[in-house]
Amino acid sequence: MKRREFIKSSGLASTAMLVPSFLHAFSGQSATGRNGKTLVIVQLSGGNDGLNTVVPYRNDIYYSSRPTLGIKREEVLRVNDELGFNSALAGLQSLYDEGLVSILNSVGYPNPDRSHFRSMDIWHTASDSSEYLSTGWLGRYLDSACQNCHLPYHALEVDDSLSLALKGHRRSGFAMSNPKQLKKTTDNRFLQAIGQASKEEEHEAQVAYLYKTMINTQSSAAYLYEQSRVFTSRADYPQTAFGQDLKQIAELMTAETATKIYYVNLTGFDTHANQKNQQERLLRQYGEGMKAFVADLKANGLLNDTLIMTFSEFGRRVKQNASNGTDHGTANNLFLIGGGLQQPGFYNDAPDLSALDNGDLIYDIDFRSVYATILERWLEADAPSVIGKGFAPLALL
Amino acid sequence: MDKIQHLFQRAGFGLSPAEWQEKKDWSVQQAVDYLFAEARQSPVRITTAQMLPAPSRTMDKTAREERKKMERQLVGQQNIAWIKRMASPKESALLERMSLFWHGHFACQNRLSKLAQAQLNAIREHALGNFRDLLLAMARDVSMIRFLNNQQNRKQKPNENFARELMELFTLGRGHYTEQDIKEAARAFTGWSSNLEGNFVFRQRQHDFGPKTFFGKTGNFNGEDIIDLILEKEECARFITRKIYRYFVNEKVDEDLVDQLSQTFYQSGYNITTLLRAIFESDWFYQSQNRGTKIKSPVDLIAGMMRSLEVNFEQVKALFFIQKALGQTLFSPPNVAGWPGDKAWIDNSTLMLRLNLATYLFTSADVNLRAKAELEAKDRGAATRKLKATVNLQPLFDLTRGLSEDATFQRLAAYFVPHHTGLDKQLFDRYIPARTREEYVRWVTMRLMSLPEYQMC
Repeated sequence: MKRREFIKSSGLASTAMLVPSFLHAFSGQSATGRNGKTLVIVQLSGGNDGLNTVVPYRNDIYYSSRPTLGIKREEVLRVNDELGFNSALAGLQSLYDEGLVSILNSVGYPNPDRSHFRSMDIWHTASDSSEYLSTGWLGRYLDSACQNCHLPYHALEVDDSLSLALKGHRRSGFAMSNPKQLKKTTDNRFLQAIGQASKEEEHEAQVAYLYKTMINTQSSAAYLYEQSRVFTSRADYPQTAFGQDLKQIAELMTAETATKIYYVNLTGFDTHANQKNQQERLLRQYGEGMKAFVADLKANGLLNDTLIMTFSEFGRRVKQNASNGTDHGTANNLFLIGGGLQQPGFYNDAPDLSALDNGDLIYDIDFRSVYATILERWLEADAPSVIGKGFAPLALL
Repeated sequence: MDKIQHLFQRAGFGLSPAEWQEKKDWSVQQAVDYLFAEARQSPVRITTAQMLPAPSRTMDKTAREERKKMERQLVGQQNIAWIKRMASPKESALLERMSLFWHGHFACQNRLSKLAQAQLNAIREHALGNFRDLLLAMARDVSMIRFLNNQQNRKQKPNENFARELMELFTLGRGHYTEQDIKEAARAFTGWSSNLEGNFVFRQRQHDFGPKTFFGKTGNFNGEDIIDLILEKEECARFITRKIYRYFVNEKVDEDLVDQLSQTFYQSGYNITTLLRAIFESDWFYQSQNRGTKIKSPVDLIAGMMRSLEVNFEQVKALFFIQKALGQTLFSPPNVAGWPGDKAWIDNSTLMLRLNLATYLFTSADVNLRAKAELEAKDRGAATRKLKATVNLQPLFDLTRGLSEDATFQRLAAYFVPHHTGLDKQLFDRYIPARTREEYVRWVTMRLMSLPEYQMC
């Protein structure tokens, strides 16, 4: 029997009557809820300047390319003889010192695109630079490679809208910035009734899409609302939107919500002018947020089953521009954070600033091999069916 | 008769009940002529916001913060004023519609009221005119110059941001230029800048007067030359036509039609009115596959509701928050690519707000609208908003005067969801407790506007 039919036949038309354990039974999860591993994606939107994030503080080319924007040697939080964190990343440094961070340098793709939208699409869809896909890599994972992922909230973006990464052909993730608001929106009995009365085949395609989205939302809202009330975190998250988003994720995870993938954004990294203050303000939010999040997960015994990947659509040019900023560049660093890392620390060498392509970094690791690693080794999925062949997993997990 | 509804829905923001009564028996030609005539008579420049004096370089941090706040409020006022124009039967629906289209095409973050107004006025001036004039006005527009860093585009260190978006998003689309073309075009736009007062200035000393090679031609090109060289390419007419077709006709593109239209547009020397008339006066525009198949943008939805119900918000702020929560705030597109539109408007959370919006308006409900994060904001915690509004249902009472309950239902359905046939009146009736005539109109209206089909146009 299909879930919706069951709801109908048991007279549970009001979603308010649905309880978490009831939904668990139908989502194929165990009664205790979430099983296996959780993936958290952190997107730094706008193109974070990787060279001022992980700073090559002994590199003369770095300082000559960035006479005013280079991070002063004495300010860098050193982690080895070559590289150190931006001073705003003390939070991340403490996680690094605990062996919970892998840093991949020069992650990118061939024929890099310097348009935000195009490059973000490439990262979201895992396409080649010349290829246009309308589904995201996590959406396709939900489509075909994820067992028991038929409910939308198996991939949850903490936002008002859903990113392309989470949109598949048949299945898509779920956007929720606030569970209370979500629940309230589905308490309309007329809308519940028209949803139940609707027949997909009678609708024009666009209208059918609206009906399907409405029905899925109604059935998910009560569950997520109940889950959000199970546990209140006391950890010390930054009072920023990003910090509060992380807190919400930690609370849902602690409540054993049947969500496998969480997605969260931090925006504002497009620093063409007067970069220093803006970037450091954001990096501080990021570092402090991560520190609180990881401590929270650890306290609740979840850290070993959690992997956090942080990426940005591109790095920035090596040379600063005339406005104390940096323009769109290419390869960038990427962070993995969690308790299950095979070899924390730097995975590969610092970017080679003496071998640039027209002033830009040359990529060393294709981002799709990072995806392949996560798909195969963390989500236990068949990577080629999601992102295509030719991307071997890396020795990270 | 629903041809007229279709036309006004797409070329404007729908018809008020009174407008529908008045115009429903018009011929298509009559209606199209009316739309363009009305647009010609409408005042081009609008001044809505009070202007702040030019900022001074000596303002301290507190003064700067204060000013930022005032600017936000003023841009907010412009936003409200504009959406009210879209909703008003007294204004030119076509001019507002086309301005909205270009506002999304030349997408720009507008944080300063004076610049926001100047940009919108420049768009209005050319919205139905010549695309070259519009493009040139946008290249000299101060909001645009600042948003795409042309302020920093100098001979010694060219900044490619504007040149790239000019070709990628404003005129040609990807694949019709090289990275080298971008570099050369950027040089041609060096020195196109603005002063502290917010006026366009050409800074000679920052301009690169040297020869550039662009699209295989070499000359001492300036920015205007680059624009002309772009417009020479038929691909530019095609790119704009395709976008207009998707916006006004159908997201699914009929390539043959776009080919024909694009030739018309190119041969007219980029006359926007010529292109739009070719669409609205065609037969295919009114065929069923092009009707009721577009998802309304949030601004469409809001303006349409306001037009139908004469919605009056107790706090205009509410209007601002609805836009944000639905993902389309005037003067604040997500990025230079504008609003992606179509299914991208819809996710679980925006859809539920759309479907509930009429109920909220009719019941002055508390709504929890969490707006997207502002870069400056310290916290984007949820805020409860009372969508307290009054609606005027008199025009709908007039529309259904003397009709039986059955006929009332059918008339209202034909007005609110003209493309949706076969509604189940009995299902509605189960959720309509009241039975006085006026209460019935009120409930049916609220329910019809809650249908997923009402989201379509």
